[in-house]
Amino acid sequence: MKKRSGWSSITSPIKKSSGSGLCQGSLPGNGFNQKEKPEDQKRRNKDLIGRVRVVDADGDDVTPRPLVCPVPGFQKSLDELFFSIPKLSSSHPIGPTQDSLNAEIEDIFLGQTHPPPQLFKKGDDAEQHAREKMVGECDYISLTETETITFLDIPPTIISVADDDAEAVIQRNLSYAELCKSRMCSDKYIDRSMQTLNGALKNKLTQSEKTGTAGKGMAATNWDIYDSLYKQNETFEGEEADHKEKSVSSRSNTTDTDNTISSLSEMQICGSILNPESEPEKEILLPELLTNISCFMERTVVLDAFQANLAAYRQLPISEGSDRMAKHGKHSEESLDPTLELLWAFTCELTRGYCITSMAWNRQNPDILAVGYADFDSRCLKPGLICCWTIKNIMWPERVFHCHSSVTSLDFSANDQLAVGMFDGTVAIYNICIQDSSVACVASSSKSSRRHLHPVWQVTWTAKRLELSLADVLVSVSSDGRIAKWSIRSHDLDSTDLMWFRSDKEFKEAAENLKKKKMVLSKPNAVCVDFHPTDFGIYLAGTQEGLIHKSSFSEGHSFLATYKKHIGSVNHIEWSPFSPDVFLSCSSDETVQMWKQGRPVMTFKSIHQGPVFFAKWSPNCSTMFGVVKEDQVEIWDLNLSIVFPTIVHHAEPGVRLTSLLFARGTDCVLVGDSGGQVTVYKLKNFRVGESKQLNKMRQKIGQMLPCLMSLHFCCHIQMMNIIIKHHNSVAGVMDGLWGSRPVQKDHGAH
Amino acid sequence: MGEEVEAQMKRIEATKGVIGTLVVDPDGVPIRSTLDQSMTLQYAGQLRQLVILARSAVRDIDPQNDLSALRVRSKSNEIIVVTALVYIQSPSKV
Repeated sequence: MKKRSGWSSITSPIKKSSGSGLCQGSLPGNGFNQKEKPEDQKRRNKDLIGRVRVVDADGDDVTPRPLVCPVPGFQKSLDELFFSIPKLSSSHPIGPTQDSLNAEIEDIFLGQTHPPPQLFKKGDDAEQHAREKMVGECDYISLTETETITFLDIPPTIISVADDDAEAVIQRNLSYAELCKSRMCSDKYIDRSMQTLNGALKNKLTQSEKTGTAGKGMAATNWDIYDSLYKQNETFEGEEADHKEKSVSSRSNTTDTDNTISSLSEMQICGSILNPESEPEKEILLPELLTNISCFMERTVVLDAFQANLAAYRQLPISEGSDRMAKHGKHSEESLDPTLELLWAFTCELTRGYCITSMAWNRQNPDILAVGYADFDSRCLKPGLICCWTIKNIMWPERVFHCHSSVTSLDFSANDQLAVGMFDGTVAIYNICIQDSSVACVASSSKSSRRHLHPVWQVTWTAKRLELSLADVLVSVSSDGRIAKWSIRSHDLDSTDLMWFRSDKEFKEAAENLKKKKMVLSKPNAVCVDFHPTDFGIYLAGTQEGLIHKSSFSEGHSFLATYKKHIGSVNHIEWSPFSPDVFLSCSSDETVQMWKQGRPVMTFKSIHQGPVFFAKWSPNCSTMFGVVKEDQVEIWDLNLSIVFPTIVHHAEPGVRLTSLLFARGTDCVLVGDSGGQVTVYKLKNFRVGESKQLNKMRQKIGQMLPCLMSLHFCCHIQMMNIIIKHHNSVAGVMDGLWGSRPVQKDHGAH
Repeated sequence: MGEEVEAQMKRIEATKGVIGTLVVDPDGVPIRSTLDQSMTLQYAGQLRQLVILARSAVRDIDPQNDLSALRVRSKSNEIIVVTALVYIQSPSKV
């Protein structure tokens, strides 16, 4: 064993035994003490009287402080202990000394002290001498570190190339490689095999609980992921919803999400089982779902059934199933004359027996048509009807509104409000998005103090220029002599008069003129009004006397101009949508008059007698307009003829034609009759005029009519508008031009 | 079922060219039909799978889209299937 210079009297190795640390230190095993006895004895027996002091080379006191607070009697006993140890060890064998030592230590702790002199007396004299000698002298202990003890040293097999031995190593490697190569053939080496003995294996068994597994397969489709994410977000919002609904919908959700095609049969079985339980819950959801579906289905089916007709309406080529030709609508069998081709009729049981008074297209959705029905047979305030039809479903109207009085006129505003004028003087505004008839009526003038008391013959929306935008203003015309402008306040309408007819003088004059005719005038009043399409605020009003007044919003009760041409009541006035100063007027005196710049330029009169109810311009063609008489509808095309209507279509016997409407964007015309039917006709074989052709015509007319005053050209969608100044002399020339056709005669003084 | 829906269904059935109609609930069980029992079950069973497949195809491409109608045109006739949104999402106005 190496000699170690410990720190002080307390040696380093620690062994566990009973007793405190201090004592432990001194106890290390008698083995130590036995061997070190002769040398250490001197070292240890330093200062018997004083404390043990350790001093290093510099003279500093580096005595370690005791771990335990020394008890006064304890010190002494420690010294005794020092003595006793060698003493005991020398006299007695190892084994029992331990026990006696232990006993002694215990005695020390208990506070008993053995009489030290006993030990002294027993002990060696030599020791004592040595001890006495050593008193006062310092023992020098040198503390040094041991050398580093290496337990394991595995040198690396890689050395750097820059190392000193590198070359030698490289050489060795090379030689070894050569050796390996030559190994095969040389006799120096013999192959031998070795067996490694594996240690015996020992089996050890353990037991654990079986981890449960379950297999689940899902087809994670794109929509599945999206739905799960959406459902997650929705759960917070949907918690307040009806639980029943949620349960049904969630059930159906689960059926869809877990529904790979393989598990379908399972689902069907589940479905039939679920059915009896969930009947009441499903009843809640079904009607809502079904409404949508059935609506859609109806449209699909109807579209299918009437596909050819609707395609013709939309000017689409017709599908293979039919025998029609798809090009230009020309038939080899039929004649090439322009004619009206019947497509379909908007009619249903609800509307049978009603008389159609007005029709209007929705401005936002050109497929929606509003039709106003009136029951005029009994001449009393019978409830009227408004139906909103759509091209997509021609079998049944989308909306049916029942009104308390017969509907006399309709108009759609630019923002989807439907204004309705009724026979009892009520003006109402409907919101067609709502199904329920009572709720759909957004505003009504029935409670207004300034409402009309007589039938409202026309309602129209017009734009009024505000500071920044255009607002829609509702204007109505009624038999009580007022043209009123309405404003909407909450649910009521309130009116302000735009014009007011009162003059008695005019009435008398007109009455004299009319004595020849069978007209009856009660009071001078306006029957129709039309606002200028571009020049906001200017409007024309036609009266029952045959006068047309031009006025504007700002004018108040005076007129800008008055046009007298008609003898009978002016039934309808319309500005031309293409030309800004041309308008058309029709009256009960069987004529239709075209005016330009306030002067009547052309009069149209067909052979057939009868008051003209409507004369409307076609929105597609600038030279075309339609005229409705009681039993026929006429389509005039000024390109082809200015004397005769291009098409004359007779009504069925027993039915009066009452209303006319052109379809925008397509060459169809709608005719309403007194049987509650709106018939849709397609204008066949009408040639869309080209500019070249019109030029030719213009030249032709120009040659023939030297007194041509103005030729007005309005190039709009390839159309041109020809207006020929009507003059007496012109009539004669035209007589010659067109042969023996009847001459138009001027009516009236102007 | 609502009266309007009833009236609509009757009108559909009365339309020219319609052979029969069939209404199926979300679980695939026929609720109402104008065809005979065997045909009803057949159509319901066969079409259900087809509708699910079609819907899956449409929604795979765009999850926010959904199948609204499916038409199968054959030599002798045409089957039109109209489906409703079962999920309460932003509905498209019909």
